[in-house]
Amino acid sequence: MKDMDKNHFESLNKCSRCGGCQAHCPIFYETGREPFVARGKIELLENLQSGKLTWNDKLADIFSMCLLCGACAENCPNGVPADKLVMMARKDLVANNGLPIIKKNVFQHLLRYNGRLNLAGKILYLYQKTGLQKLLRISRVLNLMPNDLAKIERLLPEVASGSFRKIVPFRSTVDNPRLKVAYFTGCVTNLINHNVGYSILKILKACGVEVIIPKQGCCGVPAFASGDFTTGKFLGEQNIKEFAREDVDYIIFDCASCLSTWLDYPELLESEEALKFSDKLMDVNRFLVEILDIKIECPEIGKKVTYHDPCHLKRTENGKKAPRELLSRLSPAYEYVEMGLADRCCGSAGSFNISHYRLSQKVANRKVKSIKESGAEIVTSACPSCMMQLSHALKNEKSDVVVNHLVELVAGCLQ
Amino acid sequence: MELELNTVQQIIEIVGEDNVLTNLEERICYSYDGTFQRGIPELVVFPANTQEVAEIVKLANKEKFPVFPRGAGTGLSGGSIPMSSGVALVLTRMNKIKEINSEDMLAVLEPGVITGHFNQEVEKLGLYYPPDPASLKTCTMGGNIAENAGGPRAFKYGVTKDYVLGLEVVTPQGEIMHTGGRTVKNVTGYDLTRLLTGSEGTLGIITEITVRLLPKPKEIRTALVIFDKLEDAASSVTAIIRNGVIPATLELMDQIAIKCVENFNHLGLPLDAEAVLLIEVDGGKNQVEEDIISIEEICQNHHCRKIHIASLAEEREKLWKARRAVSSAIVQLKPTKISEDATVPRSKIPEMVKRLREIASKYNLHIPVFGHAGDGNLHPNILADKNNKEEMERVQKAVDEIFHAALELRGTLSGEHGIGIMKKPYLQWELGEVGIEYLRAIKRAVDPNNILNPGKVF
Ligand SMILES: Cc1cc2nc3c(=O)[nH]c(=O)nc-3n(C[C@H](O)[C@H](O)[C@H](O)COP(=O)(O)OP(=O)(O)OC[C@H]3O[C@@H](n4cnc5c(N)ncnc54)[C@H](O)[C@@H]3O)c2cc1C
Ligand code: SF4
Ligand code: SF4
Repeated sequence: MKDMDKNHFESLNKCSRCGGCQAHCPIFYETGREPFVARGKIELLENLQSGKLTWNDKLADIFSMCLLCGACAENCPNGVPADKLVMMARKDLVANNGLPIIKKNVFQHLLRYNGRLNLAGKILYLYQKTGLQKLLRISRVLNLMPNDLAKIERLLPEVASGSFRKIVPFRSTVDNPRLKVAYFTGCVTNLINHNVGYSILKILKACGVEVIIPKQGCCGVPAFASGDFTTGKFLGEQNIKEFAREDVDYIIFDCASCLSTWLDYPELLESEEALKFSDKLMDVNRFLVEILDIKIECPEIGKKVTYHDPCHLKRTENGKKAPRELLSRLSPAYEYVEMGLADRCCGSAGSFNISHYRLSQKVANRKVKSIKESGAEIVTSACPSCMMQLSHALKNEKSDVVVNHLVELVAGCLQ
Repeated sequence: MELELNTVQQIIEIVGEDNVLTNLEERICYSYDGTFQRGIPELVVFPANTQEVAEIVKLANKEKFPVFPRGAGTGLSGGSIPMSSGVALVLTRMNKIKEINSEDMLAVLEPGVITGHFNQEVEKLGLYYPPDPASLKTCTMGGNIAENAGGPRAFKYGVTKDYVLGLEVVTPQGEIMHTGGRTVKNVTGYDLTRLLTGSEGTLGIITEITVRLLPKPKEIRTALVIFDKLEDAASSVTAIIRNGVIPATLELMDQIAIKCVENFNHLGLPLDAEAVLLIEVDGGKNQVEEDIISIEEICQNHHCRKIHIASLAEEREKLWKARRAVSSAIVQLKPTKISEDATVPRSKIPEMVKRLREIASKYNLHIPVFGHAGDGNLHPNILADKNNKEEMERVQKAVDEIFHAALELRGTLSGEHGIGIMKKPYLQWELGEVGIEYLRAIKRAVDPNNILNPGKVF
């Protein structure tokens, strides 16, 4: 941790060890163990920094136990960005040991729980398809378990056939478009849930907006979150390059994680170029409400719908407000009800739900409880990863609550 | 001393492997509390019940290793710090509320229950547990009893000890003892409940708590009063009390504290004001209205700049957010916080505030003042950098003077945070040799092997 940059070092110093983060950390809530809460990690980082500790397996394990949900940072009275510090620590670990936590996790945890790999399998599948897996060097790990892989593959009934971006045209336009946007589809929409993509195209067409879908890769969040900044930067820079080719009014996202990674590109990639995009990046829900001020004639269906705040969206501008506003515009088709602790992390956190399957499910089960208590028949969200996590957890609990992306409901109302 | 492998094995047999931490990396995470004190335990143990606690303490007496009880580790006097040896005994797994009884107006719970959670559960039933330390979202009831924690509401409602009816305790020799009971009146034998309340983990491990409850107040009004002059705020406090108004809380924040909080929360507090008072009154509707009017008048007579009054729970919570954030937010000034809670008789508040300011300027230190002005329990906090030796020497001198001032005004070293490690050197000033020897005699009598939380208090 010797070369920790000054800003991060200073924010370490700000922590007063008040313990306040205990009340907000979903992992602490489930485990009750201090190493897993921000305060503990900060003490460990200080020890790393001063050379009293050096990276070892135990420490790597501890630092893998974080959802990067930011609940601690959001509520810290001293503004300690513990989530960012954890990411920096993972970067440092990879730089020092060259060993992605992911690999270890896959070894240690995944193999143990491979009986219940439905969701995890999907994500692994994603890793494969996006080529990320090669970059993350987990292919070696996967090769070690050909039988498991076969099992996992069989658990993937809902994977879409082919890539959404290959099926739809590069440009979808209308006569005299009022605006022009570029759509970053994210990996999940591209490979698993095409309906989200089709919904967006349908809505934007109805609203008279031209959409282009530039060539793109993964936003890089799985790599950054695992401390593999080399891969993350590579992906980020490619995306920036492709999106710079054609000028648009906005770049829209259906995935909160992709959006927040793009918002962080200037810092993560240390790139001036990325800064130029900052004002154009927008969650699709916010775009529909704030920019298009969408009005929807809804049939009367009257289904109760609730909304789950993705961690990566709730901290962006109007990230909590816009989706709820959009939902309320779907009345009387849908009746929006708020669930308890709507902004609590669902436990998906990228690959966390593979690497720490059981713990992740425990976190998700709190969410399932809130959803059930809300009485909603549909739970919506604005992040495909959260949606996969929620579907999986709801299914495990034998609930028939349906999970939808908000735009799917909007598109449905546009008959 | 070092724990024998064999001893570790026996502890594992008592609580199970999953409930013992042996790695350095994990143990480091139990080396601190809310102070800058550190001490890494040799083992961290999470017992599940009274029986397990008793067995561990018995073993400790046999093998002669120290045991350091710990709740959430939010203490502000270093009370739970393991003195670089022995076992940190973390009681957070014992977190069941066993009973909330509306007829007897009491509750029975385990020590690991989080205070704020308990408050909520009780209030759901229309009942009320007043002690509300600012750390309530994280600290444990066991820690509250062990420190005799107070909180803003102490002015009207008293502190933790005023609510404890009975305890189940594992003695320093590993026996299980019950003190007090389920009645408000109880004079059978010495008042061991009171002795153990505030004993800072040195006389017994609290494993079950019985507390008395009140009916929940019907109405609450909160006022945030802004003052241009700190002195005016301080004299308003004494005037309010003199006029016979008893607010549930009467909290003071000075300018430095306001700035730190504002920096993060942006609650719209004025940065040029020298002080704000946060005043809450509760009770029947008429009483509350009357009280708020008196308070408004008094504050205006004392040249306040502005008064905000909130009655809705949400608005009140917003006002409180500022106060709750202070203790942690002030470390923005400098990383090391030496948090004092010297307390003076309430009429001496203006004098104490004045002296604190003098001390701050004399030693050129940041000393934001905030706290429970209503009961004389101010929280002067000194902000410094522990790596700066010269500054830390000035801090030491300032602390000395703060304690001198408090005692001179016939106050006390600590109103609610306890002595722990931090205030040990000053104990004699207040208690004298005879007083300290009395404490020691009690400790020796019940803990001949000096097993429980050694190195604390004296
Ligand atoms: C931001 C902040 C605000 C605070 N505000 C207040 C306030 O307003 N009022 C106030 O009084 N305090 C306050 N405190 C101090 C602290 O929260 C209290 O002292 C609290 O009671 C400590 O509880 P804990 O569970 O964290 O105990 P710990 O810090 O873990 O332990 C405190 C002491 O209790 C002992 N102990 C813990 N559990 C047991 C048990 N079951 N049996 C025997 N001994 C035990 C420990 O050995 C130690 O001596 C504040 C602290 C912070 C960080
Ligand atoms: S990270 Fe923030 S909330 Fe947590 S202990 Fe440090 S200062 Fe307190
Ligand atoms: S980011 Fe989330 S999971 Fe990680 S320490 Fe903070 S609150 Fe806990």
